[in-house]
Amino acid sequence: MNAPETKERLAALQGMGDSRLRKEDARFIQGKGNYVDDIKMPEMLHMDIVRSPFAHARIKGIDKTEALKVPGVLAVLTADDLKPFKLHWMPTLAGDVAAVLADEKVHFQMQEVAVVIATDRYAAADGVEAVQVDYEELPVVIDPFEALKPDAPVLREDLAGKTEGAHGKRDHHNHIFTWDAGDKAAADAAFDNAAVTVQQHLYYPRVHPCPLETCGCVASFDPVRGELTTYLTSQAPHVVRTVVSLLSGIPESKIRIVSPDIGGGFGNKVGVYPGYVCAIAATIVLGKPVKWIEDRVENISSTAFARDYHMDGEIAATADGRITGLRVNVVADHGAFDACADPTKFPAGLFHICSGSYDIPAAYAQVKGVYTNKAPGGVAYRCSFRVTEAVYLIERLVDVLAQKMNMDKAEIRAKNFIKKEQFPYTSAFGFEYDSGDYQTALDKVLEAVDYKALRAEQAAKRADPSCPTLMGIGLVSFTEVVGAGPSKMCDILGVGMFDSCEIRVHPTGSAIARMGTISTGQAHATTYAQIIATEIGLPSEVIQVEEGDTSTAPYGLGTYGSRSTPVAGAAIAMASRKIHAKARKIAAHLLEVSENDLDWEIDRFNVKGDPSKHKTMKDICWAAYNNVPPGMEMGLEAVHYYDPPNFTYPFGIYLCVVDIDRGTGETQVRRFYALDDCGTRINPMVIEGQIHGGLTEGYAVAMGQQMPFDAQGNLQGNTLMDYFLPTSVETPHWETDHTVTPSPHHPIGAKGVAESPHVGSIPTFTSAVVDAFAHLGVTDMTMPHTSYRVWQQLVKSGVAL
Amino acid sequence: MEVKLDKTYPVGASVAQAWAVLGDIRATAACMPGAQITEQLDDTHYKGTVKSKVGPAVMTFGGDIEVLALEPAAFRLQMVGKGADKSGSSASMNLTAHLEPGDAEGQSKLVGRATFVVSGKLAQFGSRLLVPVSDAMLAQFAKNFDAAAAAVAAASAVGEPAPAVAAGTPAPAAPAKELNALALMWTVIKGWFAGLFGKKT
Repeated sequence: MNAPETKERLAALQGMGDSRLRKEDARFIQGKGNYVDDIKMPEMLHMDIVRSPFAHARIKGIDKTEALKVPGVLAVLTADDLKPFKLHWMPTLAGDVAAVLADEKVHFQMQEVAVVIATDRYAAADGVEAVQVDYEELPVVIDPFEALKPDAPVLREDLAGKTEGAHGKRDHHNHIFTWDAGDKAAADAAFDNAAVTVQQHLYYPRVHPCPLETCGCVASFDPVRGELTTYLTSQAPHVVRTVVSLLSGIPESKIRIVSPDIGGGFGNKVGVYPGYVCAIAATIVLGKPVKWIEDRVENISSTAFARDYHMDGEIAATADGRITGLRVNVVADHGAFDACADPTKFPAGLFHICSGSYDIPAAYAQVKGVYTNKAPGGVAYRCSFRVTEAVYLIERLVDVLAQKMNMDKAEIRAKNFIKKEQFPYTSAFGFEYDSGDYQTALDKVLEAVDYKALRAEQAAKRADPSCPTLMGIGLVSFTEVVGAGPSKMCDILGVGMFDSCEIRVHPTGSAIARMGTISTGQAHATTYAQIIATEIGLPSEVIQVEEGDTSTAPYGLGTYGSRSTPVAGAAIAMASRKIHAKARKIAAHLLEVSENDLDWEIDRFNVKGDPSKHKTMKDICWAAYNNVPPGMEMGLEAVHYYDPPNFTYPFGIYLCVVDIDRGTGETQVRRFYALDDCGTRINPMVIEGQIHGGLTEGYAVAMGQQMPFDAQGNLQGNTLMDYFLPTSVETPHWETDHTVTPSPHHPIGAKGVAESPHVGSIPTFTSAVVDAFAHLGVTDMTMPHTSYRVWQQLVKSGVAL
Repeated sequence: MEVKLDKTYPVGASVAQAWAVLGDIRATAACMPGAQITEQLDDTHYKGTVKSKVGPAVMTFGGDIEVLALEPAAFRLQMVGKGADKSGSSASMNLTAHLEPGDAEGQSKLVGRATFVVSGKLAQFGSRLLVPVSDAMLAQFAKNFDAAAAAVAAASAVGEPAPAVAAGTPAPAAPAKELNALALMWTVIKGWFAGLFGKKT
């Protein structure tokens, strides 16, 4: 066999491991993407939303008269108009209900109160200003601890008398659920017998995913055919189709949901928002297409937030720093409606991954969900469900333990790691970690940055009272749980969290593949084709990937929680293998040998011992349509629905060095080293891009993003003037590295990567900033670490210049 | 968003003269730039508007005013105003103001304590500027008030207490039809820079 020739053929495939350029970018960089707002239809109407200026108020009346006089305004819809269709409330993914349009009461600022439909966008906006709403203000509850006091105002009057919620007992009118995991008795026993214990209160502030494209839709109902087509910014179009069918009564076969190009999701585009429902209701009523696109202020204020976890964590350890127990207590602020996007059975998502990368024998966690007068949401912002919160908790706690025991951060982690030979490892919370090699990764990072030298430099700086900066070193060794998930545990509205792939190979050797996921920027069209290329031996360049149209794509649960590669990626490999198996039969038929006499090589089947006798996949594609073995169906296509046997557990070691100006509190990120292990790597260039994006969003959360509320429930920070989106000016330089520990249960060993850098980097920044103050006894600082807040700590610690 | 302001402004007219303005809700309202009483509902209830313009954005707050106390003996006025703008902002103000003798004969001091509660867009966008803007608004008010009180003095016979009813329309003092936010912005920016360089204003 000719080695250079083989190499050439391999390169021509541009399969797995190839850094092929992103297929999507050609249209994106030329401004030729096709986003929802690019869609225009004949006679299309425009919708705008009347929103509440108050966080909590009774609606005494809504006067549409003046609005209807505005030229161009065709209709104004309120909750009363939706009532006959039972569309004024809608079910949430978390088993609660949410108001579509405020029904007698508003529960948060910027809540949807009425919609105005007009012939153009300007008339709709004028109409919104002319709608008169008479409010009676009610006492506002912003703090979840205040919400749980016995005499706190009742926020959800619609739930009066309901002592049972979707996740068990409600013991207070503002209480949603109490959920727990682990073994409380075992954890308590570990603490009773512990030589050392530490505890720390941590607040993970409310943030917003803030994708560049806001949410919106174009809904179009054809009254003659009874068909509804809706272009929508959704990370889960099939789930939306099911929800719309359940709400409207239209059969799913007559509903087509299309997610075209999506400008970033990060969890923000998982939910079903009132704007979508109203636009759909409006097109059904008016018989014309209706477009709704929210503006930035509406996006930040009213569509799904993330985090808002008040966490109390405790660690028990032996005298030499071996962790023996973990206890966690969380008060979770869910806002006005419980609209968290989690697998149905997990109201706190997969928060119980909070034992992290450590072999902790006993652990217990409890999460209490609470209603407040804030916007609903609770989505996984570039992470698997509540995994960011979990990783933040354990990584911060391990730091606090190291500080108390005067041990090095790296040393205490190494001491407590789940060892390579312990995998598959079952955690105290019941997760079965698939694979990992944490020590190798840690050693690689410490060596790359010369950790000892950094610590020596820090010691020298601390010893010098005139040093103008404080130096901090953050270290995090995180493990994520992604790829939800096994249908025995995970479902959304009763639909198991499988995903799907359908591949159709054409006679001339090209193919189209469709999946139930939808790229929001992850380059699925590029990377999915690479999996197929390697599996079936056709060049990725001629494999079209199509997603997002429910009328053509097989049913899938969508893209979030890093599930595309772990779940859909597996479906792609399995569907490809079905095609490969059929191709082998055809090849054997063509070469007149037995299947067992064939060897697969890159893009062809060779007859064993005589590679000159072979059939390329391209030959087989042609034969599949004219010369198949007797009794075989013609054609070459396959469908696979993949129900993962387990989650995947990507991990990484991140290290960050910061220098804090003692005069201004300004924090410079001197170095950020990110080592990720996502198992098999499909496209290293795309992975690096995803990691850069995740690190940058992590930097945004840790260093600047916040959604502050005042006592009246005003959100002070819902414009990009206030809400921090880092540009190339602020973003630090990223250094990336990797190890490869494939997942043993995934067909190609891939684990998912896009969210790891977000999950892992946030605690790393906090770890670095707090580390700068560690010698002054500081164990925690609440994000975001803006210059002002860091300066306040400098003053408090007596080291401000 | 809640803003509390505690202010004292010098008035170049006597307490009695100044009271002719403060004791008359219409006259007092007229001193507030952009404010207007549009309707009197009964002895203590009024309807009014405040108009402000920031660049192309015009905000018109329409709402209710209730006079909670009017004490001529103490030269004290207490009122509460509450209004909303169509574009999604609402504001309420609780104001207590009284007059004290000034540092010199024939002068007085206007002492005001106001609590503003703002909700909606104004509170979302403007939170950082709300205190300085309110400050600057009150300063303009005080200036107009001073001029109105001076007009009362000119119209009244010297030495006689100004009859409140007769002085009901000391109109020439406050011609501003709307709050000129550009002029206001300049005051705010000046104040901000002064604050930045540690100058106490």
